[in-house]
Amino acid sequence: MKRKFTAALLAGTMVMGLMATGLSVSAEENRTFKILSMWAEDDNDSGSILKDVTEAYKQENPDFDYEIEVVSSDNLKQKIATLAASNDLPDVFAYDAGTPLIELIDAGLVVDVSEKLEALGVADQIDSGAAGFLTNLSLTEDLYALPLGQNIEGFWYNKALFEQAGIEAAPTTWDEMLEDAQKLLDAGIQPFAVGGADLWPATRILNAYVMRKGGVDFMDLAYAGEKKYTDEPLVEAAAMLQDMVDKGYFGVGATTVDMNTAANMVMNGEAAMIYNGSWYVSSLNSDANAAGEDGIGFFNIPEVEGGVGTITEYSMNCGTILALSSGKYDEITDGWLEYFVTHVGNYAMNEQGSFRGYTISEMPETVGTYTQLVSDELDKVTGSSAWFEAAMDSELSQIAQENVQTLMNGDMTPEEYAQSLQDIYDAAH
Amino acid sequence: MNKVLGNKKAVFWFIAPTAVLYSIFVILPVLWSVYYTFYNGMPGIKWEFCGIDNYLRIFKDKNFTKALIVNVKYILIVTTGQVCLGLCMALIFKFWLKRFANLIRTIVFFPVVLPTVAVAQLFAKIYEIQPHYGLLNSLLDAVGLENLVQPWIGQASTALGALSVMDIWTATGFYAIIFYGALLDISDDVIEAARIDGCKAFPLFRLVLAPLLRPMIITCLIFSFTGTVKMFESATALTGGGPGGATKSLSMYMYDTAFTYSKTGYGSVIALIIFLICVVGSAIIRKFEKPID
Amino acid sequence: MTYKTKRKIKSFLMKLIVALIVLIDVYPLFWMLTASFKEPGEFVTKPAYALNSGFYIQNYIEAWTRGKMALFFKNSLICTVASLVLIIILTVTSSFALTKMRWKGRGLFDKYFAFGIMIPVATCLIPLFQIFQKMHLINTRTCLILVYAASGISFSIYLLQSYMKSLPDEILEASVIDGCGIYSMLCRIVLPLTKNAIITVLVIQFFFKWNDLLYSMTFVSSTKLKTIQTGLLFFEDEFGTKDWGAIFASVSICVVPMLIMYLFLNKKVIEGMTSGAVKG
Repeated sequence: MKRKFTAALLAGTMVMGLMATGLSVSAEENRTFKILSMWAEDDNDSGSILKDVTEAYKQENPDFDYEIEVVSSDNLKQKIATLAASNDLPDVFAYDAGTPLIELIDAGLVVDVSEKLEALGVADQIDSGAAGFLTNLSLTEDLYALPLGQNIEGFWYNKALFEQAGIEAAPTTWDEMLEDAQKLLDAGIQPFAVGGADLWPATRILNAYVMRKGGVDFMDLAYAGEKKYTDEPLVEAAAMLQDMVDKGYFGVGATTVDMNTAANMVMNGEAAMIYNGSWYVSSLNSDANAAGEDGIGFFNIPEVEGGVGTITEYSMNCGTILALSSGKYDEITDGWLEYFVTHVGNYAMNEQGSFRGYTISEMPETVGTYTQLVSDELDKVTGSSAWFEAAMDSELSQIAQENVQTLMNGDMTPEEYAQSLQDIYDAAH
Repeated sequence: MNKVLGNKKAVFWFIAPTAVLYSIFVILPVLWSVYYTFYNGMPGIKWEFCGIDNYLRIFKDKNFTKALIVNVKYILIVTTGQVCLGLCMALIFKFWLKRFANLIRTIVFFPVVLPTVAVAQLFAKIYEIQPHYGLLNSLLDAVGLENLVQPWIGQASTALGALSVMDIWTATGFYAIIFYGALLDISDDVIEAARIDGCKAFPLFRLVLAPLLRPMIITCLIFSFTGTVKMFESATALTGGGPGGATKSLSMYMYDTAFTYSKTGYGSVIALIIFLICVVGSAIIRKFEKPID
Repeated sequence: MTYKTKRKIKSFLMKLIVALIVLIDVYPLFWMLTASFKEPGEFVTKPAYALNSGFYIQNYIEAWTRGKMALFFKNSLICTVASLVLIIILTVTSSFALTKMRWKGRGLFDKYFAFGIMIPVATCLIPLFQIFQKMHLINTRTCLILVYAASGISFSIYLLQSYMKSLPDEILEASVIDGCGIYSMLCRIVLPLTKNAIITVLVIQFFFKWNDLLYSMTFVSSTKLKTIQTGLLFFEDEFGTKDWGAIFASVSICVVPMLIMYLFLNKKVIEGMTSGAVKG
């Protein structure tokens, strides 16, 4: 009985395996180009760009078959991990720049994009600022990813509410910003909205303070071991955030608000300021913006007294990047890559009024106020810092984000917060 | 009789297909992940043998202990809540509900049907505090308990409780219906006889119903227990494990280590521990199972 | 206080409790429906309990077109139904062999199948992916059906077994005397008698499979093959912005048919659940 059973088990497995191989034999010939994305295909944002530019390429090359898979942003890493483990990464996939990408580069799983672009003669299609930013993040000389956004970050404010509280000009120093916040609060207006439930919006405020106090490279240096997370800039930033929460500048229960709600609060006049990136422009341009075409203003992260950071340094963000699987790379990828990098810049500017980190050859004649605003700010950039977790490995980044809620709730002192980062760092290095 | 029920060929055809499917897609992956526990990194990216390091790590991992404590609290609250409230509801159905009984029984089953994502969003709105008070806070505000208004899912002290309430809400209807079925099986004569003997409501339950329901209670406890040990989806959807890990369960921590921290091996060790907790816990609950005479 | 007023108060209290239970269970559904008609701004400017100010149909249009609910609904249905059929065929036969038939190794297999209840789903994702990949089943409906069926085996056997244990042996004996073989005994005697338990298994497994997100997200990459839960993810972007109106519209689209079906079948389902399907 037992032997018979084992035999049947084996037979069953084999039959299933055979059936399966039999079915998939013909699949190799006409390769489907696979794209893994985390944006809905018609979101009028990155998803549309990816879809429309690829579709346009297909129109010119009918032989080109492609497939776009969309996964949620929360599950992107899990999906890539599973695929990498099975040696089945898609041709092009969305991924996080910084340490996560570095892991893939070290494992030789992603293509050296610079080299390919050079070979195709289209290296100049990538905006040099964006390229520089990405190579800084990946700690490489060559580019290993395609940018999909070129965002600046800073504070956006509701002009009507500022006026209501008697504030005449946007603050230029951190202290001024706090004074303004107090004025707003006294006028019965919630000074800041923050999407504390989504975690990253909260750590960005820490980052803003740190890059002004300790310089744009402080977080990089801390991860390189040359500075410590327990050094003054970070502890001070944590204390600052906690103090701002305590004073009620973020309203009650700031850790429960999602970014979507927070962003809408400023547009709807429920809160005066928000720290956000220039991707906010797509919401600002939409009908949902109750503040209208000129109702929201922008100011860069104000300077901190005694800090090394200056007002022309910006916190920048390349958005999620696109990486190309090295295992799959062939002439089909070549074709797509060449078309994509040469068309995406113009497409994004003309269709969406957004900057994606590519050279734009045809600027539209008129752009919206908010697009113009971002364009003007981009011109001022003299130096940049990445986001708070950019240089961290994923464990450290997770802890930094998790504990920021604890910090905001007052269940952890600023020193403890800083120490918790240092502890994780020390344990890993 | 024995010949028919001892038909070897029939046994083979009844068991083998199920066993094959189950072995390949349930047991094999588990064994596979046991093999993973001896490796560091992530298959395909960085993958090196590390002996029993992953097992040793457990003992000095503060986050693991934290997740374990959260998980244990959650199991205790939710399992008790689901089973007790389910039982109470079933008793109401059986003894008090006269009109619309069928309709009401149908309605209480509704929450079971809803996708977790939707339920979580709903509760997030109920517990909301900014920009507007949600249902709960408005209610407290309206009845003059302003000082109780608080960010229910935003602070470590109440988040786990708020999450538990949500999970109890979702599943109570399910247990209520199962208990109701068991109650229907208890013949009315038994209850009637006890009543004639002068049994009031509470003693009736304790002396007559509880012993008869014991096997069912144990089944439900085991079911609820194995479900809560694996706590994952609802917490991910409602709080994402926050604030600051206050609602992060073992499964969520495992998911983080395996996929976010790229430590598949260590994640597998945690998975193994979850599995062990399930086995040991179920065995303990079964200890209360007395053979029915 | 007379006995009568006491009774009245008690009865009133009972009614109040029942009304409260109903309210607690129904309100969320009602709320979800109103939310699905809300404009994006309403989620921020008005409190959560406010009614929708108008019927913002755009949410449903978004759900149907961008969320591709029609397609996902079909996929979910195919995968769920196929796996349910598989589960029932496999587990009814196995449970019967495990409870009523006499053979060596019965206890062993009993324990073997019971293991599955305790396995955390997420552990198996990477190994499962590799198994499916070796079988060339990634990105097919077959792999979802197989994994849905396999993951439902343990619990279904557990439920069915407990019910079958209560079947009196005399009935089986009588059927043998009447000349029934093992297969006809299963079809003609056991199957009709366990009908209610089977319905229970169907209902419970239906909810599990229908709500699955992790498996379908991991094993199926083609949009054409995705299931309903993944559709909800189409309204969330990189920076956490969510189109709540469209999400609730999608959820309503997928829940309402289930509710109607459930109301329609409710008598059978409740009967199945209550006629002692699950026994310790």
